[in-house]
Amino acid sequence: MTVRSLVYRVALAALGALLVLFIVGPLLRLLFFGSPESLVEALRDPELRDSIALTVFTASTATLIAALLGVPLAYLLARRNFPGRRLVQGLIELPVVIPHPVAGIALLLFLGRRSEVGGALGQLGLEFVSHVPGIIAAMLFVSAPILVSGAREAFRSVDPQLERVARTLGDSAWDAFRRVTLPLAGRGVLAGSILAWSRSVSEFGSIVILTYNPKVASIYIFDRFTTFGLEAAVPAAVILLLVALTVLVVIRVLQPGERQ
Amino acid sequence: MIRLENLHVRVGNFDLRDITLEVPKGGYALIIGPTGSGKTTLLEAIAGHAQLRAGRVFMHDDEVTHLPPEQRGLGFVYQQYHLFPHLSVRENIGYGLRQPRGNGPRPADRVAELAGMLAIEPLLERRVRGLSGGEQQRVALARALAPKPSILLLDEPFAAVDPATRQVLRRELRELHEREGITTLQVTHDFDEALRLGDLVAVLAEGRIAQSGTPEQVFRYPNSAFVARFVGTGNVIAGTVERIETGDGPGPFRARFTGGSLVLDVVAEREGAIHAVLRPEDIVLSLTHHSGSARNHIEGRVVRLERLGPVTLVHLDVGRPLIASLTTQSVEEMGLKSGIAVIVAFKATAILLV
Repeated sequence: MTVRSLVYRVALAALGALLVLFIVGPLLRLLFFGSPESLVEALRDPELRDSIALTVFTASTATLIAALLGVPLAYLLARRNFPGRRLVQGLIELPVVIPHPVAGIALLLFLGRRSEVGGALGQLGLEFVSHVPGIIAAMLFVSAPILVSGAREAFRSVDPQLERVARTLGDSAWDAFRRVTLPLAGRGVLAGSILAWSRSVSEFGSIVILTYNPKVASIYIFDRFTTFGLEAAVPAAVILLLVALTVLVVIRVLQPGERQ
Repeated sequence: MIRLENLHVRVGNFDLRDITLEVPKGGYALIIGPTGSGKTTLLEAIAGHAQLRAGRVFMHDDEVTHLPPEQRGLGFVYQQYHLFPHLSVRENIGYGLRQPRGNGPRPADRVAELAGMLAIEPLLERRVRGLSGGEQQRVALARALAPKPSILLLDEPFAAVDPATRQVLRRELRELHEREGITTLQVTHDFDEALRLGDLVAVLAEGRIAQSGTPEQVFRYPNSAFVARFVGTGNVIAGTVERIETGDGPGPFRARFTGGSLVLDVVAEREGAIHAVLRPEDIVLSLTHHSGSARNHIEGRVVRLERLGPVTLVHLDVGRPLIASLTTQSVEEMGLKSGIAVIVAFKATAILLV
C-alpha cells in the first residue's frame, strides 16, 4: 500500500468515526446517566406504565392499518405500470418531508369537530382530538410512507417471472402472489412494518397537537421534562431508548442480504 | 396441437406480426432466430402472459386466446429456470400438483416418478440455491411436466448449461417428449438444435416468420439470404441473374449469375438481383482440370482447413471466400493444405437462387 492511499484511508475512517461517535456518545451518556434502581423506580409509576402500554397499543394499531392499506399499494407500485404511478408514489412520501407539527395541524383541521370529515366521524362516535384515535391517526400519517416504501422494495426484489411460472403451473394471480411473492417478500415487508412501528413509537410532533392526553411515552417524557426537570425525564427516556435498540436488532436479523 | 393464427403482439416498440404456425399433436417444433427476433415474446403470448393485439391461439382445437395462463394447461420452462428460491427441490417439482379428491394419483408419486426419470432423486430435499445449471434445468423440466401438461413450451432450455450437459439433456428431452407424448414448442438460436430435435422449424426474423418447414427443408432450401445465412446452409453470394437461353416458355431457364468477380452458370426462374446459395457439400475440389458433369469450374486457392472430425471444412479463396465441405479422408488423400491451388467445381443445379 502506498503512503498516499494509507493517508486517504485513515482520513476516510477518521471522518466516519467522528459521526459514529457523535451518535453513540449521547446515547451512551443517556443510558448510563440513570442508575438501574431509578429505572425500576420509574417503572413503578403507573402513569409511565400506562403511557408505554398506550404507545404499544396505538403504534401496533397504526401499523396494522398501514399494512392492511399499504401492502397492496406497495405491490401495485412495485409491479404495475398504471397512469399516475409516479404521482401516487410522490404523494405517499409527502409525510416524510412535512414537519410533524405541520402534519399535526393539518390532521387537526381535517379530523377536528368543525371539519366535515371529523364532524361526520364524530357523529359515529369516533372522536380524534384529545382521544386515542387521534394518536393512531397521527402515527398512521407519519409511519405509512415507511411501511409502503419498505414493502415496495421488498416486492421489487422478487423476480416477477416467478409469478408467471406459478401461473403456468395452475395458480390464479392471487394464488401466485400468496404462494410465491408474499413468502419471498415477507421478511422485507415485516422489516418495513417494524420500522414503521418504531417510527410510530417515536412520534411526538403531530401527536402533541392532536392528542396531548392521554399521553403516549414520548409526550410523557416531554411532560416530565417540562414539569419536573431533566432528571425526572431520564428513566422513561432510557426505557424508550431500549425499546428502539431492540427494534433495530430485530430488523437487522430480519433483513437478508447484507450479511457476508 | 398448437395453432397460431395471425398473431400480433406488441411489447414496447417491438412488434411480432402475422405469426401463423401449427404444431401437430405430439409434434416437436422449434422456433429459431437471432437475439431480439421475438422468440421469447412469442412463447409468452402462447402462454397467455402477453396481450395479443390481434390473432387467435388454439390448443387441441379449443380457442384459448382469452384464457388466463393457468387455464391453458401448458408447461413452460424458462431460460433462467426461475425455480422458487424459498422451496426445496421436492416442493418446486410438486408446486403445480393439487391434492386429489378421492382416489387420484398422489402428488408424491408423480414427483418421485419424474425425479426418477430425470435422475434427480438425490436432490429432492435440497434447497434450490447451490444447484448446478444442469441440475436446475432438470428440476425446472420436472416441475413443468409434473401436472402432465399436454403442451410444453421451452425457452432456450440449454443456453445456460455446459456443452457436455447440453448433449445429455437434449437426448433426455427428446426421450421424454416421446414417452409423455407432449406437443412441444422450443425456442433456440441454435439451428443445430433444430436439426437434432425438431420435426418442424420456424425461422423468426424481426418479428415475423421468415420460413417454416421441416428442418431438412429449411436447411436445404432456404427461401432467403437471411435464412440461408442463419441456418448455415453455406455460401451466400449476392449478385444478379441474366438469361442466356432464349426460350420463351415458362419455368426454369439457363442463366448467368454474376456476383462480384464470380460468374456462374445457373438454372434460374427469374432475372435480376438475387442471392446464390451454394452448400459446402455440393462443392467438388480437384487438383487438376478434368471433364466432369459439373458445369462450373473455377480456379481457387486453399486458405485454411477446419477439421470437424470426419468432415473438414475447406476455406477457399476464389476471388471471394467460399467454403467447401469434404470428408477428412479425401482431404488427406488429396494432400490439401493452405496455399495449394485447386479447381472448384459444382453443378449449375446445385446453386439455389433466393
